[in-house]
Amino acid sequence: MENNNKKSSAFYSYCLNPQIKFETHEEGEKIYLLLRSHPFTQIKWIFSSILFFILLFALNIFLKNMLNMGQIMIFNLFFIVFILSYIWFNILNWYFNVGIVTSKRVVDIDFYAVLYKEITNAQLGKIEDITVKSGGYFESLFDYGSIFIQTAGTEANVEFNSVPHPSAASQIINKLLGKKHGS
Amino acid sequence: MEAKDILVIINEIGINNIFFKIIIIFFAIFYYFYALVIAKQVDTMNKALQDKYNGIILFITSLQVTVSLILLIIMILNVVFV
Repeated sequence: MENNNKKSSAFYSYCLNPQIKFETHEEGEKIYLLLRSHPFTQIKWIFSSILFFILLFALNIFLKNMLNMGQIMIFNLFFIVFILSYIWFNILNWYFNVGIVTSKRVVDIDFYAVLYKEITNAQLGKIEDITVKSGGYFESLFDYGSIFIQTAGTEANVEFNSVPHPSAASQIINKLLGKKHGS
Repeated sequence: MEAKDILVIINEIGINNIFFKIIIIFFAIFYYFYALVIAKQVDTMNKALQDKYNGIILFITSLQVTVSLILLIIMILNVVFV
C-alpha cells in the first residue's frame, strides 16, 4: 500500500496512512486511506460566499437612503456573521464526510447537513464488486470520481462520492481484497 | 469599555426603530440556538472522526458560540435599555 503511485494530496482529501481514529475503530486495525470530496466540488459554496459579500456591498449602497447609520451597522454585522456561518457550515460538511479504508473494512462516515449522522461499514470479506465512475470535463481534468462498493448479503453498499484519484483508491481496496481472499 | 458605554454609543448612532429591534433580537436568538446546535454536532463529529485538526475545529466552534452570545446580550441590552 505504501508503494501506491498517488501521494497524499488535494488539500487533505486523499490521505495515505492517515493518523486518525474513528468511532468504531478496533484495536490493531490499520487505516490505509482517508478520502474526502475533491476540493473542486466545493467551488459552488465558495462562489456563493463571494457573491454574498458582493451582495452585502451592493446592499450598503441602497440601504444608505433607507436606514440610519446604527441600523446599517447592525445589518452589516448580522450579514457578515451569516456569511461566516455559511462558510463554516460548509467546511464542516466537507471535513467530516469521509471514506476510510482499513485493513479489515471500508467505512463511510456521512453527516447530512451536519445534523444527521450515518456510518456504513463493509467488511473486506463481504465486498463483491468495486465500480469506479468518473466522467465529464472537470472530473477528467481534476482526476476525481465516485467509487461504488457492492457487498454480499444484507450488508449495505458503500459509496464514496467525488473523491480524488478514484482509480488509485480502488486499486488499494483491490489489493486489500486480494490479501484477504489470499489468506 | 463598560456595558453602559456600549449602550450610549448604540443610542447615539440611533438604533431606535422598534420594528428593526424586534427583527434583530429574533435573529440574535435564532443565531445563538443555531451556534449551540452546531457546537453539539461538532462534538459528536469529533468523536466520530478523531484527527489532528479537531482542536482547531473545536476552537472555531467555541468562538462562534461566544460571538453569538455576545451578539444576543448586546441586542437584549439595546432593546431593554435604549
